[in-house]
Amino acid sequence: MSEKNKLLIIEDETTILELLKAGLKYEGYQVFTAETGREGLSLLEKEDVDLLILDIMLPDIDGFELCRKIRAKGFDLPILMLTAKKEVQDRVTGLDAGADDYLTKPFNFEELLARVRALLRRYGRKQEATVLIRGDLSLNLETREVTLSGRPLKLTPIEFKLLELFMKHPKRVFTRQTLLHRVWGYDYVGNTNIVDVHINHLRNKIGDQERKLIRTHYGVGYSFHPED
Amino acid sequence: MIKNLSLKLKLTLLFSGLLLFILGGLGLSFYGYLRHFLLSNTATRVRAQAKPIIEHWLYSELAEPPLVGYKVRGGLPTSEYLKEIAAPLARDLTSRDTSALILDKKGRILAAGKLLPEEPPIPPPRSKAINKALSGENEVTYTTWFRGNHLLILLIPLRKAPQAEEILGVVQLATYLRPVDQTLKGFRDLLLASLVIALLIGAGLSSLLVTSVLKPLDRMILVCQAISSGDLSQRVRLPERKDEIGRLAHSFDHMVEQLQRTFEAQRQFMANAAHELRTPLAAIQGSLEVLLRGVQDDPETAARLTKAMFKETKRLARLCEELLDLTRLQVAKNLEKQSFEIGPFLSEVLEQGKLLAPDRVWELTEGPQGKILADPDKLKQVLYNLLENAIRHTKSGDRIQLGWKFSEKGVRLWVSDEGEGIPLEVLPYIFEPFYSGQGRRGKAGLGLALAKSIVEAHGGKILVQSTPGRGTTFVIDLPL
Repeated sequence: MSEKNKLLIIEDETTILELLKAGLKYEGYQVFTAETGREGLSLLEKEDVDLLILDIMLPDIDGFELCRKIRAKGFDLPILMLTAKKEVQDRVTGLDAGADDYLTKPFNFEELLARVRALLRRYGRKQEATVLIRGDLSLNLETREVTLSGRPLKLTPIEFKLLELFMKHPKRVFTRQTLLHRVWGYDYVGNTNIVDVHINHLRNKIGDQERKLIRTHYGVGYSFHPED
Repeated sequence: MIKNLSLKLKLTLLFSGLLLFILGGLGLSFYGYLRHFLLSNTATRVRAQAKPIIEHWLYSELAEPPLVGYKVRGGLPTSEYLKEIAAPLARDLTSRDTSALILDKKGRILAAGKLLPEEPPIPPPRSKAINKALSGENEVTYTTWFRGNHLLILLIPLRKAPQAEEILGVVQLATYLRPVDQTLKGFRDLLLASLVIALLIGAGLSSLLVTSVLKPLDRMILVCQAISSGDLSQRVRLPERKDEIGRLAHSFDHMVEQLQRTFEAQRQFMANAAHELRTPLAAIQGSLEVLLRGVQDDPETAARLTKAMFKETKRLARLCEELLDLTRLQVAKNLEKQSFEIGPFLSEVLEQGKLLAPDRVWELTEGPQGKILADPDKLKQVLYNLLENAIRHTKSGDRIQLGWKFSEKGVRLWVSDEGEGIPLEVLPYIFEPFYSGQGRRGKAGLGLALAKSIVEAHGGKILVQSTPGRGTTFVIDLPL
């Protein structure tokens, strides 16, 4: 992604702020953070923020109040509220105050990402393309079709997920452990050698024996370097 | 067995028994009185009938005796004369319901009057009664059964002259008691019938009364069952009544009210505790997920997240510890009290405060030296919580002051700061678990609640006085 979506997180729980920042940055967003409402508001005015993640309980201002204020000032951006309050009344208040979505803690990070993507899409912001094109490789996330120089490739679901990760984050070095978590799941118990086996299959299919699009970092993992 | 009967049945039985006793006793005495009245009435009537006949035969001037030789006109009758007139006299005294027997002064039978079958049979005279009459008693009367007949026997001594001492013989009159018996039987039947009716009505009424009195108890049983199955909102709520049952129901409702409130507070406490635990857990869970997704590949970010998670686990551990302390204090007041000098103790606490926040101005206002009786570890915990609170609400350079003084009632300790103070609307709630004011998340959470529990376990009191913008003072009063 050349143009990164800008996200602003206003949250006073430092650990939650840390993890959101780390996780969202890793996914390729540009992340701004604020621990108070005032700080958040001034960041909002300075930066062209695409989406706001807002905690309800802040030290200086109530999240609902801040939400109303932001809307009153005419900011047109998706707001995702984050709170430990589960009661229906709180959700209703939040949505009425101008929030677009509501997520309760503890939350699933995958779900948070999905909601962020959905909100960005709804607001017509620049978003992840459904078709990734890197060099002569193209991967359609919706139809799940992969072509190499226009020729369709037949990939197994695991190979597809590996290629998707690589194409989404070119040049990033993925450790075997991370690939295992992302493709096989967090609770997969087994040897990381299985990653090597499937990477090898994928290399054969994308004709990588001579081109070396997928590079091996010995003792670490793999990265993907498309030909520009 | 009686124990197993319901209260209602017992009381009804008791009332019926009493009614039976009173009505039965009354009936019996009425019956006895009536019987006595009827018998004496009969006796009087028979005697009255016999009197002129006896007088005619014995004393009348005009009497024309069949055998004149034995009684001189105007003279007194003799034994011989009696022997002569016995048969006609007996016959004269005998009627359809009375038959007579004449005896001489030795008790020998001179004549019997019964001739016709409808006249009462004559039972043999009782020598004891005859002797009584012969010795001059005028009113010897008794009843007897003879040949299937209930008879009233009357003895009339025959005197030489109406007022004379000397007695010539005795007349025994036997009269039927059939009419008396019939009257008595009628009365007895009536009495029995009315007794039964009275008992039935009495039992019915008492059962009704007892039911109305005990009905609330049935309601209370129902309510108790509902409550024990978990519905604490149930109340007996009797209509206004001032008797014991009404008061019982009222006290019962009051008790359930208190229970419900306590229960509700406990529930709220649990909810708050779970909520407080959830926040750090959410942070840890989210961090782990982000790490696993790949952030772990960046050692710097991974280290930052790991440190943050470590901080959260410490927060969780502390929260658990405080929760445990709080429940321990609530369940049992397990304090290890000992006597110690207050001065050095507070100096040590102050030093600790200085270490925590060297940029505040620390002051100790010393009172007289002396020993106090308390659990030093627990008391230290209270003071540290108050110090932390003071530090959190003051800025660099603000004054935090500790002090103590003795009074006749005990010892007073205080922690005073020149910080931002506590808003008036928050002040009443600051000792409540997890309360941190106006939707703000307080890291203190349990600190002040714990302080209050500890002080109260010592039999003391903790008070707070605060002026927004000027500062806050916590005062602890402990008994000596």
